[in-house]
Amino acid sequence: MKNQIKNCALLLLFILSTTTVSAQKKFTLSGYVKDDSNGESMPGANVYIAETKQGAATNTYGFYSLTLPEGTYTVSVSFVGFQDFKQQVQLNKDTRLNINLKIKAIEAKEIEITDTRIEQNLKSTDMGRVEVSVEEMKKLPAFFGEVDLVKIVQLIPGVKNGGEGNTGLYVRGGGPDQNLVLLDEAVVYNAAHLLGFFSVFNSDAVKTVDLHKGGMPAQYGGRLASVLDISMKEGNMKKYQVDGGIGLIASRLTAQGPIKKDTSSFIISARRTYLDVLIQPFVRETSPTKGSGYYFYDLNTKINYRLSDKDRLFISGYFGRDVFTFKSTESGFNIRIPWGNATVSTRWNHLFSNKLFLNTSLIFSDYQFESNVEQTAFKFNVFSGVRDYNAKMDFTWYPSYRHTVKFGANYIYHRFTPNNASGELVGEAFSLGPPEQIFAHESAVYLSDDFDVNDKFRIHAGLRASMFNQVGPFTRYLKDENGFTNDSIVYGQGEPIQTYPNLEPRLMMRYQLNGKSSIKASYTMNYQYIHITSLANQSLPTDLWFPSTALVRPQKGVQYSLGYYRNFKENAWEASVEAYYKSMENQVEFKDGTLPSDGLNDNVDNFLTFGRGEAYGAEFFLKKSMGDFSGWIGYTLSWTTRTFPELNNGKTFYARYDRRHDLSLVLSYDLNEKWSFGTVFVFASGNLMWLPTNLYYFEGKPVLQYGERNNYRMPAYHRWDLSATWYTRKTGKYRANWNFSIYNVYSRLNPYFIYIDPEGDVTQGTFENNAKMVSLFPIIPSVTYNFSF
Amino acid sequence: MNMRIKPIFAFLALTMLTLGLSSCEREIEIELEGSEPNIVVEGLIEAGEHPRVLITKNRGFFDNFPTDFAALLDTFILQNAVVKITVDGTEYPLDFVVNPFQYPFAYYTSTSLIGEVGKTYLLRVEALGKVATAITKIPPAVPIDSAYFGLNLFDAAEDSLGFLYIVYTDPDTLGNAYRLYAKRNSETQFFPVEGAITNDQFINGRTITFFSGQSDKPFAVQDTFIDSRFFYALGDTIYMKFCSIGSREFDFYNTFEAATGTNGNPFASPILIKSNVNGGLGVWCGQSFYLDTLIATQ
Repeated sequence: MKNQIKNCALLLLFILSTTTVSAQKKFTLSGYVKDDSNGESMPGANVYIAETKQGAATNTYGFYSLTLPEGTYTVSVSFVGFQDFKQQVQLNKDTRLNINLKIKAIEAKEIEITDTRIEQNLKSTDMGRVEVSVEEMKKLPAFFGEVDLVKIVQLIPGVKNGGEGNTGLYVRGGGPDQNLVLLDEAVVYNAAHLLGFFSVFNSDAVKTVDLHKGGMPAQYGGRLASVLDISMKEGNMKKYQVDGGIGLIASRLTAQGPIKKDTSSFIISARRTYLDVLIQPFVRETSPTKGSGYYFYDLNTKINYRLSDKDRLFISGYFGRDVFTFKSTESGFNIRIPWGNATVSTRWNHLFSNKLFLNTSLIFSDYQFESNVEQTAFKFNVFSGVRDYNAKMDFTWYPSYRHTVKFGANYIYHRFTPNNASGELVGEAFSLGPPEQIFAHESAVYLSDDFDVNDKFRIHAGLRASMFNQVGPFTRYLKDENGFTNDSIVYGQGEPIQTYPNLEPRLMMRYQLNGKSSIKASYTMNYQYIHITSLANQSLPTDLWFPSTALVRPQKGVQYSLGYYRNFKENAWEASVEAYYKSMENQVEFKDGTLPSDGLNDNVDNFLTFGRGEAYGAEFFLKKSMGDFSGWIGYTLSWTTRTFPELNNGKTFYARYDRRHDLSLVLSYDLNEKWSFGTVFVFASGNLMWLPTNLYYFEGKPVLQYGERNNYRMPAYHRWDLSATWYTRKTGKYRANWNFSIYNVYSRLNPYFIYIDPEGDVTQGTFENNAKMVSLFPIIPSVTYNFSF
Repeated sequence: MNMRIKPIFAFLALTMLTLGLSSCEREIEIELEGSEPNIVVEGLIEAGEHPRVLITKNRGFFDNFPTDFAALLDTFILQNAVVKITVDGTEYPLDFVVNPFQYPFAYYTSTSLIGEVGKTYLLRVEALGKVATAITKIPPAVPIDSAYFGLNLFDAAEDSLGFLYIVYTDPDTLGNAYRLYAKRNSETQFFPVEGAITNDQFINGRTITFFSGQSDKPFAVQDTFIDSRFFYALGDTIYMKFCSIGSREFDFYNTFEAATGTNGNPFASPILIKSNVNGGLGVWCGQSFYLDTLIATQ
């Protein structure tokens, strides 16, 4: 640890020393880049100075700042789908230049590929970072007509899904809990609706999707594998606008517009599935299950207010619920299970100067799961969840055009509610132990600098110092040698129980070989203080988040990656190869033989066991983002293993989502003004399962004996989807299109899970165990009508 | 407490319903390398009784089940094992006996050995070229304070079937575990009830009411009351055998019951059985018991 601190200090000293060179008179050119049509800020737009061949990308709020020697410069700004902006600027004082980009006219083909376009993928130090445009997503085939950004993200090399139709993310060999999923900076703890078949993100309300799967910058932390940073639209500053879609299982409606033109705006977006409502008239009054059903809904809303040229305020919120009900009038059995997320983010942007940008955020985030079971004289209720109060300050400082320095602090107060159960039998309440809640502080400070050492060599160096502190009230149950609870320690309110301080260095380097290619390398260390582990083979809404405690040490991840990037045909084609190696410590699993009931009246962590993981692989990516014909092909070759002293006799085993081959092909083609087409093809090695190999009888009952963990690989997964979008009205006030999608064109019966079905009669000699493979989705055509006015 | 598992199946069913689909399933061939044959011990030594040790072996998971008793003996039951019990420094060799009319149908026993409370018994089994050993101690019996019959609460319309309730007082020392066996009317043999296993982890030293239904009988044991399976009925004479066992033995039965309860559930992770047999599978269990009888009335 001491050495680590010393090394980091030296690194920082080096960074800062390079910021104070040259004495020539310098001025700052800064401003916001916005979409001219609606006033939405444009993050990730490229601002380029032709004379110095230097450039920068706008930040999350569309802000850029470049400090240059006095002189006359040609500033150009480019963004896919927008007309290039070009302007001469006489820089003899600090200058504010706000830029409005115009959408490229539909007729205009890619006229010229200007040399000013920055090859962001070649020049930045970002590794394993992918941005996906929501507009592009809408042309691609959609499952049941619901455009799902998480499913598109899963088509990026290095990112895998959890199985058929599942929106779980498995990034570079990491588990589904190792992704930081942010919606306007608020953590979304469970991003899935309906067993993961749909994600919680309504594509109409989303502006940008930014994925970091390797080389995580220092402003992010708390997870090992990735950051999925999703920004909601701000709302049209110019005019009122209504967008909607009517689909087979759900409909969406979004309204947005100025509160005060060019100063403030709002957006509100809602989505709900309605099959439960549609089928009600067809359910007979006497049906034994009348009143059963399932639906989910989402509500996104955001308002923003430009207080002054230097200050801007954003308030955004998300609320979503899945509700599952089952009623059986015959047996008097009722079950109601609601679950979902709620987030509120309040953010304030402030410009201290042309060089110093600050965003301050106050964030509330909540996930709840509840299960209420009722039968005549019996009631049973399970409640679990996690709630965060989060405060953040993020500074961006542009000391010179060679440097972008980011620093800030973050504090989260966590409240975890593991399974709390209560019940009532014949009107008499019975308790299944006192309700347990776990409280913790998580805090971090960070500093990073992204800077050019020379024209070819660029470095992003960062350091994050993080700390996790579990505090009371808490009851620790102590065990005797037989595993019985024989004592407990009670901690009072706020009493510190366990503290974990850690340093997380991050280093990314880019070396530009020539105008067409570069190589990059990165090293990142991350700590993760909160965890999910699941008893089941699938990610379920019942999965619990739990914090690091005295028994559960923080997960630690170290990732090395190396990549080669090359652009072809005047940057129309981007190609890359990235190889990575990742080691993960303090990985968490349930001990063998843990039962679902074991957490009651005990600490969940008493049933956990710890080990390490390893992941390595290579990702190949070829992308075309310009022209009528665009898309990508990605292939990943990867391995991921786990080693736990207490599992699998201490032998290393492949993780369930170890996937040797993973291929995705994503294409879209704009035929003419009326029609565009999309297609997706995926091929992936099957997931691993743990199946019994032997069987014995005890007291006359069959007992399954399991061999090595994850000993069976399911058949490969492959699927081809097609879509066509027909723009019935592409211009004018009322615009509309029909999206026709076919999911699984050749109706491949992909494996969802395999189960063992014992058949026959023991006494008749016909008994045998059969393995049955369940497939969920055959060919599914769908149609969605989208409109906007 | 399968409350977390059951809704998940319902979730899936409703998912498919919501999407207006039905899932498709088909049989597939799975080839997996199984383990070598292992010794499986199903051994009991009860206070006041001769030991009864059934020695079987495991088989490949997808192998067919034998058709008749002879084949059953042949396929599962190890008839030529060398089985010994050591207590107080004396070694007792066990003999193989066959009794096709009572479960277990064939087992090893010794007529010169009778279980005693407080004594520790070492079991050694040699078979399949392997040696399995296990150790167990017979804990003292705990009496049933009272027992009664109650109608099935979960079905308001029910007027004859119900559960057996027993009340007992757990001793003040931690680590007591129990397994309840029962038979009724003309049944000749005790079998563990449904959810027969419990311990005093949460209820140490308290007076406890424990309720249960009947369990499935082992294969080839005729159940004469097939229509009222899982329940007891008004008018039944219920014979109870309340056994005290050790905590490692509890771990075995507890995981065994849970595992047989979730067999084949694709959403449940495999439950590994905690055996107290070294070099083998199963359990070697010393137990003492308390007997009681109840006539089921309202």
